[in-house]
Amino acid sequence: MQFEARAKRQAYELPRRGCNMVAIQTENLTKKFGNLCAVDSLNISVDKEIFGLLGPNGSGKTTTVLMLTTLLAQTEGSASICGHDISREPDKVRDCISYVPQDMAVDSNLTGRENMLIFAQLYGIKNPKDRVDELLAVMELSDRADDLAKTYSGGMRRRLELGEALVHEPEVIFLDEPTIGLDVAARKNIWNHINALNHKGMTIFMTTHYMDEADQYCDRVGIINHGKVAALGSPAELKSRLMKDVITVIIDGKYSPVQVEGTLFVGQSGDEISFTAGNGREALPLLADALNHAGNKVRSMSLREPSLDDVFLQSVGKQEEPQGFEEFKFHMMIHRRGL
Amino acid sequence: MKGVLTYIRRDFIRWSRNKVGVVSTLVLPAAWLIFVGIALPVKFTGNYLDFITPGILVMTILSTGISSGSLLMFDKILGFLNKFLAMPVPRESILVSKLLFITLRGLLQATIIIIFAVIIGATLLNPLQYAMIYIILFLFGVFISAFSTTVALYLDDHDSFAAFTAMVTMPLFFTSSALMPYDVMPGWLSTIAHINPLSFAIDAIREISAGSIPIIPIGLLLIFTAVVVTISGYVFRKITV
Repeated sequence: MQFEARAKRQAYELPRRGCNMVAIQTENLTKKFGNLCAVDSLNISVDKEIFGLLGPNGSGKTTTVLMLTTLLAQTEGSASICGHDISREPDKVRDCISYVPQDMAVDSNLTGRENMLIFAQLYGIKNPKDRVDELLAVMELSDRADDLAKTYSGGMRRRLELGEALVHEPEVIFLDEPTIGLDVAARKNIWNHINALNHKGMTIFMTTHYMDEADQYCDRVGIINHGKVAALGSPAELKSRLMKDVITVIIDGKYSPVQVEGTLFVGQSGDEISFTAGNGREALPLLADALNHAGNKVRSMSLREPSLDDVFLQSVGKQEEPQGFEEFKFHMMIHRRGL
Repeated sequence: MKGVLTYIRRDFIRWSRNKVGVVSTLVLPAAWLIFVGIALPVKFTGNYLDFITPGILVMTILSTGISSGSLLMFDKILGFLNKFLAMPVPRESILVSKLLFITLRGLLQATIIIIFAVIIGATLLNPLQYAMIYIILFLFGVFISAFSTTVALYLDDHDSFAAFTAMVTMPLFFTSSALMPYDVMPGWLSTIAHINPLSFAIDAIREISAGSIPIIPIGLLLIFTAVVVTISGYVFRKITV
């Protein structure tokens, strides 16, 4: 997949800045907050692709992004962006990257053009005004460029932020939940832009909660849980690790485990139990019998093809609110909201 | 420093679009001049307006500067700071731009006070005297905004910060030499007033108005400012590693 992505790029455009090194490379990257290991010996390599980092809340996604964007110092290990070490050459790293946090930080009392111009000037772009005009056009914001950003829709704000992140033509762009809170059309639009950027040779590193989007648009995904990589590969590859069919059972009450030949337990999420089966149609009645026999009260059963959700469930296990992170999460929330 | 001007421009546009904020920063000092400068019946000086104007100038810089921490705090809460920190712009320029923006905004208010004071009867000084007054106000502005920013970086929560500024501003003003000279103060107040940094700035401006050049107060203010800016730079660097 990585090579495919590379070939895809070469077909479109040559690299602009000759970043011949791997875009993102981490070696045992670790971050501890006191006793808590938020990111545990992360080893990933991402290059010229759309890479999605998935994981439940508090699994270390944002911490990873903060370290890679030089906003947080790692406890152990190292990482490099385009060959520049994040702790030894942070300035060079900042030159090659852009970071779009999930907060939608757009100055609402400034126009879209003014917002973007600030970024162009901060990056020291020559002819910042021309560059801003160009990017406003790319992001389909030219018509509204001189309106205050507070009149923009969520999708427009996101596009404005994406445009700001592109002023210096970064090699790698980090997106934290780029489509959160957007409607379907706006999401699709953002994804079209992200895809186009990737076609131009940009490496996209993103975090998301939306499995369907990761499945559809990411070249590769990494699922992390408790700071460790639980699964890594292209969505198709990960799904193929499961058997051909997925059977979802909804039960009342507590689940008593069953073993049925030809099926494999995937995981439980709420009252929903998932199994994977080589031949779902044949396994369905057997599974129903076994479940009833074990004393489970089955409400419904359904058969479908595996999705990334199933991979996620299998890698992450039973989905609970991560207790250990609660205090930390609470502080993060307070910091964000400023309560 | 690279980026400072752009950051200042950003804050300035944001401030200037907030009409209520602009009007309030201009009306407040005028109100002080009228209600305290003209209306207060005082007997210890012939022209109370000349006496109170330095106090109001310094107080205006104080109240503008003390709130400067919230600028950086909101940038942090709303996610702007992380965006800026991920850029190849020297990180300190964010801090420097906040201190300069607030100080320049304070000087703008000071200019309005000076003009207004002269119109309603304060003595007109010569350009050199005004230049020295601006230097003192500038130093004091940087001093206060660096202090406020440091506290904001430590407190890290807006409600506590608002409580802090309210708690600091009033006592600091009333225990300074702004409203009355030392010899008419009660003994305890005079002691506090002598060590209040506000008094340094106010007394220095009064000395200038009286025709002398206050080398020692300016020197002291310079040292204080340097120390506080260094501390605030250190704290800023620590939270943004």
